[in-house]
Amino acid sequence: MTEIKTLHILNKSPEHPRFTRCLTVAGPEDTVLLIENGVLGLVAASASASGKLLALDADLAARGVGNQSGTVETVDYDAMVELTTRAQQVISW
Amino acid sequence: MSTLIVIDQPPYGGWAGREALDMAFSLAAFDQPVSLLFCGAGVNWLRKGQEPGTVRQKSVEKNLAAAPIFGVEALLADSDDCNRYGLEPGHLLDSVTLVRTDPQLFAGYSHTAFAG
Amino acid sequence: MQDSSPFSFTIVITGAPYSSQAPQSALNFAEAAIKAGHRVDRVFLYGDGVHLASALASPPSDEPHWPREWSAFLEKHCIAGVACIASALRRGLVDEGEQKRYELSASNLLTPFIIAGLGEWVEGRMASSRTVYFHGSD
Repeated sequence: MTEIKTLHILNKSPEHPRFTRCLTVAGPEDTVLLIENGVLGLVAASASASGKLLALDADLAARGVGNQSGTVETVDYDAMVELTTRAQQVISW
Repeated sequence: MSTLIVIDQPPYGGWAGREALDMAFSLAAFDQPVSLLFCGAGVNWLRKGQEPGTVRQKSVEKNLAAAPIFGVEALLADSDDCNRYGLEPGHLLDSVTLVRTDPQLFAGYSHTAFAG
Repeated sequence: MQDSSPFSFTIVITGAPYSSQAPQSALNFAEAAIKAGHRVDRVFLYGDGVHLASALASPPSDEPHWPREWSAFLEKHCIAGVACIASALRRGLVDEGEQKRYELSASNLLTPFIIAGLGEWVEGRMASSRTVYFHGSD
């Protein structure tokens, strides 16, 4: 299992200032996990995230946001827990 | 192991900033290294001359001025955001250090947290 | 093997039920952590998150009762649920002790939650291998 430097849990919509801030701060060795309203920023985040980008499947499905581009990997809560154990640090935005 | 507490919400219009300060002071009280980062609209906490008696709230200026005495290692402010709000160095509380909010800044802390 | 050794978590919730998704995301996360064999040391409610510990929340019967679901989860797994005292008192969430102290007409803290200071949060983040925050999304 590869290590993650920082796991960024991003639950804000792309309109929220913290959304942009999170993507600015996340480096190439980091992983950004979109949850809750954060999944609405899938397209915006795909364009600008320098590290790995993931999205929580339950929140995508709830909002009817399909993974149309197919570029983002989706995870469930079990995988989210595993991500937090693999990351040296977890930041919730 | 040092913690960065981030305040990105403006003062008086909400309580998240105050609650973030309480978190920082608690860590300091338990001898845990902690710094505060003010960014976005949160930089407005650092403006000199706040008189929140007009809205029946307590001033945080004194608390912030006392932060180093209570063991808070640094009061950091995002320089771009200070510019955006017209905060020149002379308008800021004395103990503030201007920084860039970038990956390198966050890499210097083992924990980063928001109050809400 | 790092990924098979158990971790311990402190979970911090700062978003209120019915005004944010935070309590339910946190519950899903906590359940998954237990299922994976990890331990949840404590749940700390801060800011608007303290509303999760209200015994008086009464959502419509066809909606999930997040305070009760959390309460049942904490009891089942013997996990400490702590509401920050400063956040709680400001927002009208009190236990019997605080009711007496401030001569209030009622108390409303849901079992098994307790009210305590931020020291519980400091201690939790020192004791647990990971501290994970669930905020509101406004």
